[in-house]
Amino acid sequence: MRGGSELTTGPIPVGQFVNLIRTTIRNDNLFQNQVIKGEITQWKSYPSGHTYFTLRDSDGQISAVIWQGRCTIDSSIGEGSVVVVIANLDLYAKSGRIQLIVNRIEPINKLGVLEEQRKQLIELLRSEGMLDRPRMALPAIPKHIAIITGVGSAALADMNRLAENRWPGIRRTVIGVTVQGNSAPNEIVRGILAAGKLAEIEVAKRLNQPPVDVIIVGRGGGSPEDLWAFNLEPVARAIIASAVPVISAVGHESDMLVADLVADLRASTPSNAIERLVPEFDQHQMMMLNFELRITDATTRLFVDWRNNLRLLQSRLLNAPLQGVYNANQQISDLSNRLTTAVINKFSQSKQKLASLGNIMVLAAQQSIAAEKTKLAVFASALNSAHPNNVLQRGYSMISNENGEVISRTNDLSKGQNIILALADGTAKATVGEITKESGKNE
Amino acid sequence: MSEEISYSIAIKRLEEIVADLERGGIALDETLKLYEEGAKLLEFCQQELASAEGRLNEMRLSEIEEKLSE
Repeated sequence: MRGGSELTTGPIPVGQFVNLIRTTIRNDNLFQNQVIKGEITQWKSYPSGHTYFTLRDSDGQISAVIWQGRCTIDSSIGEGSVVVVIANLDLYAKSGRIQLIVNRIEPINKLGVLEEQRKQLIELLRSEGMLDRPRMALPAIPKHIAIITGVGSAALADMNRLAENRWPGIRRTVIGVTVQGNSAPNEIVRGILAAGKLAEIEVAKRLNQPPVDVIIVGRGGGSPEDLWAFNLEPVARAIIASAVPVISAVGHESDMLVADLVADLRASTPSNAIERLVPEFDQHQMMMLNFELRITDATTRLFVDWRNNLRLLQSRLLNAPLQGVYNANQQISDLSNRLTTAVINKFSQSKQKLASLGNIMVLAAQQSIAAEKTKLAVFASALNSAHPNNVLQRGYSMISNENGEVISRTNDLSKGQNIILALADGTAKATVGEITKESGKNE
Repeated sequence: MSEEISYSIAIKRLEEIVADLERGGIALDETLKLYEEGAKLLEFCQQELASAEGRLNEMRLSEIEEKLSE
């Protein structure tokens, strides 16, 4: 071995120099059987069976080679894989290229290759039209929500708390599944299938509960590997096949998974799923109350209008001809009866049905209607007692001329005039004799 | 799904009824009809609201599968 000081022999040929380096490296334990971690790029297998790639991270990179048959390569390893290699450093003298001779290679996670599979799956689903198929609308008011997620998870606790805040006691069935690890995809698919069963009318009847009408499938945030089940084809297919709308609610805002792409609605987080699905009970109650008040108010106003119209009619009737009075009175009675019975009954019936609203305003409106009813009843009876027939029954008679005009003043009579007397049970014709006007009697 | 859609439709119809009644100038018969329809719709909507209330069921996947296979 030559030292740097042995200059007497002249310059070292470069080949010798490179081989000097090579020998140094190969004899240094630091560079042999070293365990190195990095990401694979430029992964290339040659027909010869050798595989070349570059191992890199953010600080550096180095070429590597796996000689044919030297070690088994996990099928998941490829471009982008993060791997651990056990390798010897060597220098290829002919090119001066330094490289790792890999004795063993293991994936430390499968993310790189998974990412590739995910892209392929998305492309497949896109080509099948699954990404832009028509989506189902969420129920305006969910009657039975199936939540597929990890039991005891923070995500579930968040969802339950938020759901209770928005709609206390809203019906939910939580199907507890494993959301990460090897069994996760299978359990999530079975969870979706079970929720689908609960959505069937016959099953719902048998279990004596409303059918599931919407499914939330999701979990809280985690590493990309933790969320990976939601990138897998079986889960995507189960979501697509669901007969009821599915909300995908996985991870954080920034996580976009295949499940998100195929679901009927993508919620950014589990809590977001509840916010978008569960309406606020109070708002709907207020809306109903508002409708009820406005209907009641408007109807009451209309009833009051009619009552006023009836009063007007009454005053006009007082001077009308006998038969007309009778008919109109009948009509008014009919109208009053209908107002006081039909309308009021309907009011109080529906008021009882809606009693759950328990609003004071409603009660006030009801009382105002009751007051109207009383007024109408009084009015109807006053109208009845004023009817000419009732007067005739008491022994009075009514005089009219041959034209049917009622005569109540001596001024309207002349001696010898033919008049008609209306009695309780019929009429009589008569001729006027002497006319005496009593002074002091009112006109 | 049909029930949920009719809840939304009921809300729409209620809005129309309220608007008609508030506009006024309609016959007694018509008012009665509108009032009755409105009351029925309100009752339906109230039932819809009430029917969303239920229990919170938490089950492991295996439990629910067992229950479904009974």
